[in-house]
Amino acid sequence: MTALAARGIRKAYGRHSVLAGVDLEVTAGELVAVVGENGSGKSTLLRILAGDLGPDSGRITVRGRVGYCPQVTVLDEALTVAQHLRYFQVAYGIPSRRRAEELVGRLGCAGYHGQPVGTLSGGTRQKLSLILALMHDPAVLLLDEPYQGFDWETYLAFWDLTEELRTAGTATVVISHLVFEQERFDRICHLRSGRIAEEVTRHEPAA
Amino acid sequence: MNQQLDTAIRHSLAEHARNRLAAVLLVAFVPVWYVLIGAMIPHASTAFRLRSTGTTLAVDGHNLSLISAGLNTITIIAGFVVLTATRRAMAFDRRLVLSGYRPGALIAAKTVAAVAVALVISGYAALVLLAFWRPGGLGAIMLGFFLGAVTYATLGLLIGVLVRGDLEGFFLIIMIALLDTFLQDPVDNPLANKAVLEFFPAYAPTQVAAAGAFHDQILIAMIALSLAWTVVFAGLAFAVLRLRMPHSSRPQPGGPQPAGAG
Repeated sequence: MTALAARGIRKAYGRHSVLAGVDLEVTAGELVAVVGENGSGKSTLLRILAGDLGPDSGRITVRGRVGYCPQVTVLDEALTVAQHLRYFQVAYGIPSRRRAEELVGRLGCAGYHGQPVGTLSGGTRQKLSLILALMHDPAVLLLDEPYQGFDWETYLAFWDLTEELRTAGTATVVISHLVFEQERFDRICHLRSGRIAEEVTRHEPAA
Repeated sequence: MNQQLDTAIRHSLAEHARNRLAAVLLVAFVPVWYVLIGAMIPHASTAFRLRSTGTTLAVDGHNLSLISAGLNTITIIAGFVVLTATRRAMAFDRRLVLSGYRPGALIAAKTVAAVAVALVISGYAALVLLAFWRPGGLGAIMLGFFLGAVTYATLGLLIGVLVRGDLEGFFLIIMIALLDTFLQDPVDNPLANKAVLEFFPAYAPTQVAAAGAFHDQILIAMIALSLAWTVVFAGLAFAVLRLRMPHSSRPQPGGPQPAGAG
């Protein structure tokens, strides 16, 4: 089942064309990487998919709710971790923070609840940003360079989580300028000259 | 909606409360400014024109300058506090809206927080004034201070959503507040009683405070004029803010929806 479909996405900043007709379809439970060089339009594409930026033309359809973790950690430095969790609980309209608290524990953020975000390390902020994108169990997850600043333990915890989400049927798009561990992805899409120029699909070994 | 509004108000107030530089400025800068102005300006008679009534009053220049000094400090601090919070939260607010937060709730919360900031700052500045002068119409001075503070709080909001960088915003707030309040004081500015100054934001608060302090009068028209400045600044700020926010969406599970995320 298609969870996210983007057709003919075009975007230009002035005369500079960034996306020149991107087509991308992600099915439920699929983990897709979008890779490309710096300035190839990866983050622009993800912002458009998330609804943060309007395309010049093209159409996007999403089945279910979206979780979006932007490249830059968009948090409020004056608010505490607990206040962030509360803000997004209300934004998503979810009755409890049970899932959020579970993620806090798994990503090693326990003990920071009362701390203003401005006092946290870059890695901890990135973890919080990821938790905010995941805490409502989205059907479509859009992650822009999500593991920047993670320590090794958190990096592994991130991949465990991603694997669970895949099993649970979450369609996940990960943006990266470099893809390590390519075997973890179901599909790798290379963004070049404003289009998906090449797609590499993982072939499951025969049972 | 109520839950969103309640949460946004509480968090907006918490943000303001954590602005330590503003707290230090408020606690230290206000009395220091009163001391400096009090030491520099003698108790000489000064002509102050209440334009709303057409009356020219002979007032104590020292005391009038204390009102002017109070307005000077609170307009800068109120503008700074709200500007800082606005700049800091802009990208975060976008993310909240993408996650389903209603822009109206965020905007309403900012208004409530700006009014609360104005109340605290103006109340404190009026109370500290008592250490230097016991005016007859303290209530009117407090009201004038509040009107000045809330006008500049909303100006801070407007500048915050318009400028690209924090530094430009701070510079604009400081320059506008300094010039505006300085020009209204006839002790500092011999042309302060000219009609052109009616078109400045600090004009009405100065008139309200001076009329209460020296003429035992409440100037309803001036209160309305000052609130009109506030409404104009706030209205423009909110229009810009609303335009820059993404459209809130909360796709329902099961059906294809236009994109929107958190």
